This record gives sequence, structure tokens and C-alpha cells, in this order.
Amino acid sequence: MIIDPITIALITLGGALIGLGVHFIPVGGAPAAMAQATGVGTGTVQLAAGAGLTGLISAGYMYNFLATSGSFTTSDLILVLASGAVGAMIMITVTMFIGQLVYVYCVGVPPVSAKVDKDPITGDIQDIYVSQGTEGHGVPTVSFVSGTIGGLFGGVGGSLVYVQLMEIGNTPADPAVVALAGIFATGVFYVNAVLASYNIGGTIEGFHDPKFKRVPKAIISCLIASLICAIIAVPIMGGVS
Amino acid sequence: MIDPITGLGLVALMGALATIAGAAEDLESDVGSQSNPNSQVQLAAQMDFPHRIFNKAISGEPPAYGLWCAAGATVASVLLAQNMSVIFAIAIGSFVGAILLGLYSVTAHMGRTTSQKRFKQPIYMDMVIGHLPPIMGHGYIAVFCIVSFSYIMDHMLGHPFPLPLLAFLWGITAGAIGSSTGDVHYGAEREFQNQPFGSGLNAAQSGNIVRKAESGLRNGMDNVWACAKFGGPVTGLALGFTVFFDNWRSTVFSGMNAVIAGLIIVLILILANRLVEVQARKAYGPYKDEEGGTEA
Amino acid sequence: MSTAAGGPATGGLPPNTIIAIGVIGGLAGIYLTMLNQTFNTTIFSVMGGIGSIFAVVWGADAVRRVCSYGLGTGVPSIGMVALGMGVVAAIFGLIIPETGILPIPAILGPVISFIVAALVGLIIGLLSNKVLNMNIPIMEKSMIEIAGAGCLVMMGLSASIAGSFAFNDAILPSVVSTGYIAIVFIGGAMTILHPFNANLGPDETQFRTLYVAIEKAALTMVIAGFASLTAIDAVSAALTVLVGLAIFLVYFDKFMKSVHREAYKVVGTGLLPSAEELE
Repeated sequence: MIIDPITIALITLGGALIGLGVHFIPVGGAPAAMAQATGVGTGTVQLAAGAGLTGLISAGYMYNFLATSGSFTTSDLILVLASGAVGAMIMITVTMFIGQLVYVYCVGVPPVSAKVDKDPITGDIQDIYVSQGTEGHGVPTVSFVSGTIGGLFGGVGGSLVYVQLMEIGNTPADPAVVALAGIFATGVFYVNAVLASYNIGGTIEGFHDPKFKRVPKAIISCLIASLICAIIAVPIMGGVS
Repeated sequence: MIDPITGLGLVALMGALATIAGAAEDLESDVGSQSNPNSQVQLAAQMDFPHRIFNKAISGEPPAYGLWCAAGATVASVLLAQNMSVIFAIAIGSFVGAILLGLYSVTAHMGRTTSQKRFKQPIYMDMVIGHLPPIMGHGYIAVFCIVSFSYIMDHMLGHPFPLPLLAFLWGITAGAIGSSTGDVHYGAEREFQNQPFGSGLNAAQSGNIVRKAESGLRNGMDNVWACAKFGGPVTGLALGFTVFFDNWRSTVFSGMNAVIAGLIIVLILILANRLVEVQARKAYGPYKDEEGGTEA
Repeated sequence: MSTAAGGPATGGLPPNTIIAIGVIGGLAGIYLTMLNQTFNTTIFSVMGGIGSIFAVVWGADAVRRVCSYGLGTGVPSIGMVALGMGVVAAIFGLIIPETGILPIPAILGPVISFIVAALVGLIIGLLSNKVLNMNIPIMEKSMIEIAGAGCLVMMGLSASIAGSFAFNDAILPSVVSTGYIAIVFIGGAMTILHPFNANLGPDETQFRTLYVAIEKAALTMVIAGFASLTAIDAVSAALTVLVGLAIFLVYFDKFMKSVHREAYKVVGTGLLPSAEELE
């Protein structure tokens, strides 16, 4: 049994990408559900997990298709990661878009950010569109794009962890290995997503939010936490008979 | 691989099941009041607004739905291993999931209300008994549909994950979508119909939820009646889109083309969002004049 | 410290007692499943489920203590991080003696899992406090406790499904391959995080929270018992289900009694309290 340093490094990288992705996803926590804050009206961890795990489902399907039909090459790896990323991006964009429909057509508020005066992407003036007693509402374009990027990182990170775990055993068709890698990827995802969301205190508007400057701390924490998970998980996957 | 036409049919069926699941999931969380909007129900009693609304603080919706779906799928897999027919196995599994949901709802509502003793919020037993069947009924539909499309994915489209794991992951996604989309209708609009339409909830009004209905006192059944008109269906649309688009692209296209197709869907959604944003800004206009609008 | 530090008014149990109950009860339950091999039966699988109930009590109490500080993301996230660490650590400890890279007898597996989970918990706790500056005084200790409890819950439930904690021979084919690991994961997480979330409020009491913990852990045990039908014989599975149901009924009743005793008022139906009443 070999403990491959590259595998451990890549799993650690995957974990850090998950932590980074969480910082991009615009969530307003409980206040956003009452249109009191900009972003999607749910918790950081849960939205990131919903997106990342959708990506994991896509990546698992793609990996199974590629790895069981022959040798698994680097271009296959990129394809699996891209598949996971797109799965997560579809989930997060659909969620943000439908959420937006509810804010606009049901609550009757324009999407607006309270953290910046002008939307950095469209240049729209923001502050005068904030209704009284709130800190913004809905998902303005900058947050929407940020969320899409968050889905990208989350999806790539989760898929990377899964693929690396699968590659250790090199038995892509064994249901035990698949299930073990799937549940470990879920576990690593949750550890990193929760650490990242502790870093931002549960709410963030996207990459334009001042809280985004805290991202290096989260990366360090996620690197350490994922490294430990990787060191533990790699011998397990190698030891499954 | 199955042939593309059958594959597309299965993907369409999955999308339809997911749409029903999403709608039922959101409506279940409106009857019982779960997730973020429930913070206002919790706060109401504290602000001297006692109420007759169910306080279903089980946990966030994603882990909760992960549990119901994983439990349903576990029971279904056990029954499938005993050679029971697929529909019956999933139906019985989902029933177990719905019973779990009911039992967790009871402890959440009664526990939270008891812990508010000093705010004099009574526990109404007729409410507990009256709300449980709709909660479990909506939950049953959601779990049944999620486990069913997980089964299609697992046994017919050849996904490698075992059924309970797949249903668990889709349950988390369904809960995440439900708490992000439809719950806003309940939280920002239905709970606060006493506030002027067309603005977010003023933080000063937190906890001042609507407690009286068209006749009598408002409860979860009145809330779900309203949310079924918009919040529920769009949540269904969101989960349906997610499941359908994600599987459609990998069924119709293969390799890199599937990724490109997915990226095009994402781009279209970004543009659509921009259109909605522009339209909303034009239709509603700013809350303040451009000159006096420096403070947020 | 408001309501969450052990509730002396209601005769709450001190944290150390609960830790002892959780560690000893949890490990004992897992080890007692070894009687299956001794007597060549599967009837003792039920002990794994009972062990998991002890561990849940500990985990729920630790969540209760740490969540009295504002975490910024609600109660559920801490349960999910605990089980995320717990699942990796639990399987590591069970498999490492079987791989033979370290000369450890297989019987020490659960203890190794537990120690590894505690170590990972310590590191996550240190990261939260020192790097992310959360400054919650009991974060490290709580993370150790929650991860350790989560790990014990998962091992207990897995052992009760598989009838043994031997990894490659029992848990891998009957818990992991079948996908029941998903219900073990989320069932463990929800039983640890739900009790405090369900009783959150200024008048929360430790006993009511722990009644919910026991009752929900028993429910998870029932599901685990049902899942064990595919792994062990029907009589043993039925025993796990029945014992779980019995514990559930007893503690659900205790919970309801404590609600009736402690709530402001439990009424059949009625109007809202009047303005004078609210004074």
C-alpha cells in the first residue's frame, strides 16, 4: 500500500477550493428570507452543500462512465471535474434565478446590494433601491455572477476529492469503493463548508462584500483540515480489499 | 447505455417527479413553518405577539430532507432486497420517512414552545394534531418523488452511487432549493401581509407576524393556501430544472459537449436574471430620490 | 451563561458525568457486539444501537453547551461538521488494524477511531478559534466532544446493522456497499443536532433536551434495525427494532410529560392570551 503525496495534495486542494467557493455564494441567512438582506434566503453551508453535492452526483456519473470503459487519463480527469463544476453551477444558478423571481414578482422588491454604491459589473446605482429598514434584497447581477463562480469552485473541489479517492483503489466498478468515496467526499465537503461559513459569520453578498477579504484565513484553515482528512482517508481507500 | 430516446423519456420523468417533489417540499415547510422564516415565528412570541402557527424548528431543511429521503431509501432498499415490487417498496419507504418527519415535528414544535414559557405562548393541542397530517402528507409526496427519481437514476440510468446515498444527496439538494426559493414567499410576504407591499421587511417590524386570518386565527393551513399559489410551484420548477437540465445535458450530449451545453444553460440563466433585474428596477423605481439617496 | 450551562435549577447533570456516560456507554455498546462472535449468533447486534444512544446523549449535550454561544450559522452546521469528521475517523480506526501497516490488534479499532476523531475535532476547534478568530472559549473542547460522540454514534449504528465492527468482513459489505452508510451519517447528525435545536429558547432545560436525544436516537436505531434485515437474521433485526421502539415510547412519554409540566399552558384549543394575561 502506497500513500501517494500527490493524491493527498490534490485532496487538500479540493478541500480548499470548497472553502473558497463558499465565500462566493451570496447568502443572506435568515434575514434574506424576509427580504431584509441581499442574497439567497438560506444558510451558507446548506446552499453550498446543495450545489456541491449536485456537482458530486454529476461527477460520480461521469467518472463511472469514463473509468469503467477503459483507462482514466488526465483529459478524463478534466472532463469529470468540469462535469461536477457544471452540475453545481446549474443548481446554484437555477436556485438564484427562481429565488429572484420570488423576490421580484412575489415580494415586489428590486434586486439590490447594500454593500456597494454601484454594481461592479453592470454599473447600476444601488443604494437608492434599498427599501427602508433593510440591508438590500434579492440577487443583483454581481452577486449572481459571484454565486456562479462559487458553484464552479465548490463543484470542482468536491469532484476532485471524489475522483482522487476513487483513483487510489483503482477499482471504479466496486460498489463499496464508490459508496465510501461518495460519503467521504460528502464528509470533507461539510467540514470545509462549515469552516468557511464560520469565517464569514454565516452571511456574505459575494466577492464585492468587504467580508470577502477574510478569504485567506479560510483557505489556511481549509488546507489544514483537508490535509488531515486526506491523510486519514487515503490509507482507508488503499486498505479496502 | 440505454438508447437515447428511452433515456430522454426517463430524464423527462425524473424532471416531472422532481417538480412535484420540490413543490411538496416547499409547501410542507410552509404548513409547519421550517427553516429561516420560522425565526420570525419564534421571535413573535418573544415580542408579545403570541400566535397559533406551528413552530417546526427541526433543523435546516437540507439535513432534514437528507434524513427523510435517506430513511425512505434505506427502507425501500431493504424491501427491494426482499424482492418486493419497486412501487410498493418506495411507497412503504416514503411512509417511514413521513412518520419520522411527523415525530420530529412534534418534538420541535412542543419543545420550542415549552422553552418560551416566560413569553406566555400556550401549546394548543388541536393545532399539533391538526397540522401533523398535512405536514406528513406533503412530506410523503416529496420523499416519494425524490426516492423515485433517485431509483430511476440509480437502476435505469446507471448511476454508480447506491440508492440510499443518492437519495440522501438529492434530499439535501431539494432542501437547499426549498429553503432558498419558496420559503421567501412565506417569510417575506405571507408572514408580513400587514406591512406595505413592495419592500423588504423593516427590521423594526421583526416578529410582528400576521396572526389573524380571514376568519379566526391564522395557522399553517392558511399559510400553505397562500404559498401554494406561487412559492410552492416555483420551488418545484427550481428542483425540476436542476434535475432535468443536469441529466438532460449528459443524456443528449457526451464528453465535452455535455459540459458546454451546461455552460450555455448557465449563461442563459445569468442573462435571464439580468433581464428580470432591469425590468424590476424599471417597474418599481427607486425608494428615494437620486439626490437624497446617499444613505443606505 | 444563560440556560445552557447544566441548568442547576432542574437538577441538571454536570458535563463530566455526561462525558463519562457517553464514552463508556458508547464504547461498551460497540464492544458488546463481539458477543455475537463468541456465541456464534447475531442477537447481540442490539448492543451497538444501545451504545449509539449513550453517545447521542453526550453529543447532544455538547451541542447544547457550545450553541449557547452565537456561532453565526445556527445549530445544524456544527452537527454536520462533527459527522463529517466522524465518518472519516470512524472508518479509519476500524480499517487500520486490518490493513496490517501498523501492528495493532483488530480489537482496538473502535478506540483508535475514537482517538482519531477527538484529534481531528481538536484541530478543527483550534482552527475555528485561533485562525478564524471565533473566540468561543469552549470551542476546542466541544469540537473534541462532538466529533468523538459522532464517531461513536456511527460505529454503534454500523455495528448494529452489520452485527460486528470488523470492517472488511462485516461493515464494508453490509453498511457501505448497500449505501446504508448514508442513513448512519445523516441519522447520527440529526440525532445529535436536533435535540438542542428543537428545545432552543430561554426556558430550555437539560433533561427535556436529553429526552429528545434518547428518543430520536432510539428512532434511528429502529431504522438501523430494519436495515440490518439484509445483513443478519430476522430475529436479531426484530430485536433491535423492538428494543428501539420500546426506548422511543418510554422517552417520548417522558418528553410529553415534561412538556405538560414545564410549558406555560397546554390547552386543547383556545384563543390567544389576552392583553392582561401578557402583562
